[in-house]
Formats: sequence, structure tokens, C-alpha cells
Amino acid sequence: MAGINKNSDQYAKADSHQNNRGNETRAKVVVDTVTKVFESERQTVRALDEVSFTVSDGEFVCLVGPSGCGKTTLFRVIAGLEMPTNGEVRLAGNTVTGPGTDRGMVFQEYGLFPWRTVQENVAFGLEEQGAVEPNRSRRVDEMLELVGLTEFKNAYPKELSGGMKQRVGIARALAVDPEILLADEPFGSVDAQTREMLHDELLSIWTTTGKTVLFVTHDVEEAVTLADRVVVMAPSPGRVNEIVDIDVDRPRQRTDVTFGEYVEQIRSLIGE
Amino acid sequence: MSVETPTDSEPAVPTGDRNQDRDEETGSVETTQGLFGDIDPASIGYGIVGSAIFVTIWQVAAAAVDQTYLLPSPIEVATAFIIELTASATFTLPIAGITVPMTRLTANLAQSLLHYLPGLVVGSTLGVSLGLAMGWSGRLDNALTPVTRFLRPIPPLAWIVFAIVWIGIGHGGAAFIVGIGAFWINFYNAYAGVEGVSTHLKEVAASLGVDDDLTMIRKVIIPAAMPSITTGLRTSIGQCWMIVVAAELFGAPGVGFQIINAAQNLATDVSVAYMVVISLVFLVSDGVFRRVERRLLEWRV
Repeated sequence: MAGINKNSDQYAKADSHQNNRGNETRAKVVVDTVTKVFESERQTVRALDEVSFTVSDGEFVCLVGPSGCGKTTLFRVIAGLEMPTNGEVRLAGNTVTGPGTDRGMVFQEYGLFPWRTVQENVAFGLEEQGAVEPNRSRRVDEMLELVGLTEFKNAYPKELSGGMKQRVGIARALAVDPEILLADEPFGSVDAQTREMLHDELLSIWTTTGKTVLFVTHDVEEAVTLADRVVVMAPSPGRVNEIVDIDVDRPRQRTDVTFGEYVEQIRSLIGE
Repeated sequence: MSVETPTDSEPAVPTGDRNQDRDEETGSVETTQGLFGDIDPASIGYGIVGSAIFVTIWQVAAAAVDQTYLLPSPIEVATAFIIELTASATFTLPIAGITVPMTRLTANLAQSLLHYLPGLVVGSTLGVSLGLAMGWSGRLDNALTPVTRFLRPIPPLAWIVFAIVWIGIGHGGAAFIVGIGAFWINFYNAYAGVEGVSTHLKEVAASLGVDDDLTMIRKVIIPAAMPSITTGLRTSIGQCWMIVVAAELFGAPGVGFQIINAAQNLATDVSVAYMVVISLVFLVSDGVFRRVERRLLEWRV
């Protein structure tokens, strides 16, 4: 688990990160011939079959594919919640052996602790890292400001809308200063209008923090809106079909012709 | 897949305007919270009428019965209650041996509390602890489930035999019976609470750096199981009053003993007065705990 127990200087790292961006060409995440087989009494399912790709430092990569293509399994393998049957995932050079704070995770169902207020949720990982006051509160405030929830710091999750809950989720994931932000369909449960706003916010957070982002979605337009590169997966067995570089300047307009072409290209790859 | 079209899937959800969000901050529901739980003001009138009818029927029925001991009237019970409440008596604290002047009623209540409180506290603590441990550890669960399944159906009072031979039928024996009752109620609620904690929250905690069992139990399992644990505590607060009365029927001094003792002297008005005491004490303790519970679980929907 990288980045733990360095609470005094780890916050400074988030700021300097931005400057390093682009200078460091080393891959942040290496997914190296990952195969995942689920065996039950009745059947054997090959959820992932020799999946390989890399994510560079500071890059925004989206993982798309139809349901059953293993994207959530891959997310869980990278998160360390599942162990691959074969192959490995390396994060900043270290093989992933379990969950850890070097990966900030954002889930579709938010995963907020309902008994903790917004600021207590954001502070959770910091407490585990042993961050002391006043650094901890300062870091929490900083994160809440980043996601625009400062005035809701004392609210409980039940009092928040879906979009606000997910902003808390993002703030909590980023608070521990992970190497990478991992998101599994994070905006799948919010309405379309909120989702678009959250896209803008996420891109702005990405620009501000310079974090590497790996984002799982089934929504092709969402992937083309956000990503530098889109890893298109195919089902049975789950594998990488193609990796598409999205060469459109940001902010991207969905009405833009090139945008539409990328969407069409990826959709035809998926077979939609 | 038209992403531009706003949907009504989340109607109450604010979108672009953050000031709009503020309206959601207060979502509390207004209720009058008395010591006896939630009271809907509109229902108070009906409650008064219903109670009045009940007391009237009781009074009329009691007047129709020849022997008072068969059915003491509300007035006789009230009189007995006041006499018990004012007649002087003494209460001796065990171990410390200090004798305090009290009234008969409060002295008997104090005796019962000597059974109730230690039994409740010790039994609940052990029950919650074992419930948490077995809910958490599959191995412990497998090892002890046959034993718990086997012992669970035995009513607490059946243990009176051992209470008598081990401890003697005094304060200790009665407290022991109460403790057994509190233990099982809290054991099952804590156990179910832990079983119900979502895997998802545990994974979230792991991804945020929780990598040992104790931290996971302290920071995720216990808070997540808390609603179930408090339900168990509240149930046992009530049930243990029932058990205390039953346990005292075997001779330990206290409110329960007074009920049977007075009845043996055909002073059933005194018996009913002590039944009223049990009821009042239960209502107060339940009401107090409801408040604690509400404070503890204010995060809940």
C-alpha cells in the first residue's frame, strides 16, 4: 500500500502532481494478460481472457463494453477485490495484491457510510492513514471545496441527492491522495442533467489534481465525453476489442461531427 | 440513448443550482415526543375516551363482584398505591450494607432494580459481544451454532433451578435469570445486525485503508449493525421487567414478590398496585431508551 503514513507531505504532492503531468511517461497502471475464471459446480465462466492495456500517468481512460464483457470484474481485479486467475495488475510498478489507498474508488451505489456525516465520510480514509488534526480537517475542507459541498459538511447521506452523494464519494476517494481514481459507473444512478454537470466537475477535478482516472461505463457518449482513450471490451470471454484514442479538444460538444463519429465507431465495435 | 433529455427519474434532486440543494438540508419529521414515545396530538382525545371507558367498566364490574379480592376496583387500587407509596420502610444496599429510609413501594422497586439492572447490563453486554463475534467470525459461528440453537429455546425461568443451587434465591439468583433473558435477545439481534452489513461497505472500507478485523468491526460493523443492536436492547429493556417479576415470584424480594405475597393475603388491590408500578417503570424506561435510540440513530432514514 503506497502513500501511507506520510501525512505531512502527501497533501503537497497533490499540488505538485499537476506540474509533473506529461513529463512522466511511465505507465501508471499496467494490466498484464489478466485472466479471471469463475468456477462453480455447474459451469466455468471465463470473465476475462488475457486482458492487457496500460494507463499512463495523468491519463483519463474509459472502459466501455456491453454487459457481460467483464468490465466490472476487471474493475474489481484492479481494485484488488478479486484476484486474477492468471496475469497481474501493476500500479506504479507494484503488483496489486489487495485493496488499498493507492486506488481511490468510486462506486455506482456511492458506498457512503450512512452513519457518518459528509465530512466524516471524507475523513474516513484519512483517519486510517493516521492523519492528525488540524491537517485532517484542512484536507477534508479542501476536498469538500473541490466538489462544492462545503455547506453540506454536516449533513448525513440520507439528506443528499444522488449527484451530491457521488460528489462526496469522489471527495472521499481523492482525500487519501491515491495514485489513481477508479470509478465503476459512478454516474449510473443519477439523472441525465446531473450526470452532465458531474462530467464537467469530474473533468475539472481531473485537471486540477492531475490524477490518473480509470472510468468504467456502458454509456458510449459518456466515454467519448470524458476519455483520452477508450478501451472497448467484447464479451464471452471478456477481452479487449480495441483501444480508441479520442482526439477531440475539450470541452467536447456532443453535437460536434467528430464526436459523433467516435461514438458511431465505438458503437459499431460493441455491436450496438 | 439520448443523454441530453432531462428525465424525471429523480424529481426531488437539485441539479445545476447549488442553492437549491439547501432545501434538502432539513428533512426531519415533526412529532410530539413524550416520555411514552411518539404521540400524535390528534389521537390524544380518543385515548382519553378509551381509557375512561376502560376504567368505568372496571369500576362497574368491581362493584358487581361480592368479594373485593376477586376484582379490586380502580379506587381501591389507587388507595393501595398511595398507601404503599407513603408507608415508611427501609432499604438496605447489599455489600455496602447501608440502610436507607424509603417508602414501601420505592423500597420494593429498589430491590427489583437490584435484579433488573445488573441482569440487564451484564446479560446484554455478553449477548451483544457474542452476537458480534459469531456474526463476524464464520469459524466461531460454525463452532457455536449447534450450542446456541440448542440452548435458545429454554425459557430463562427454567434456569431457576441452577439460580437456586448456584447462587441461592436472593438478589443474585433473580439477576441471573434476568441476565439469561437479556443475553438471548441481544445475542440474536447483534448477530442478525452483523449478518446484514453489506459486503459493499466492507469493500469500501478496505479500499480506504482498513486492513485489520478490529478496525473493521469498530468502524464499520458495529455502526452498521447499530439499528439492530438497539432494537435488541429496547426489546430486552421491556422483556427483562417481565422476567424480573417472574423470577421474584420464587421468593426474591421486590415488586414481583409483593404481587404474589399480597395476593396470598387476599390483598389483591395491593397486587394490582404493584402491577401498575411495573407498567409505569416499563413505560418510563422504554420512553427514555427511545430518546437515546433516536439520538444514536439520527442518521437513519
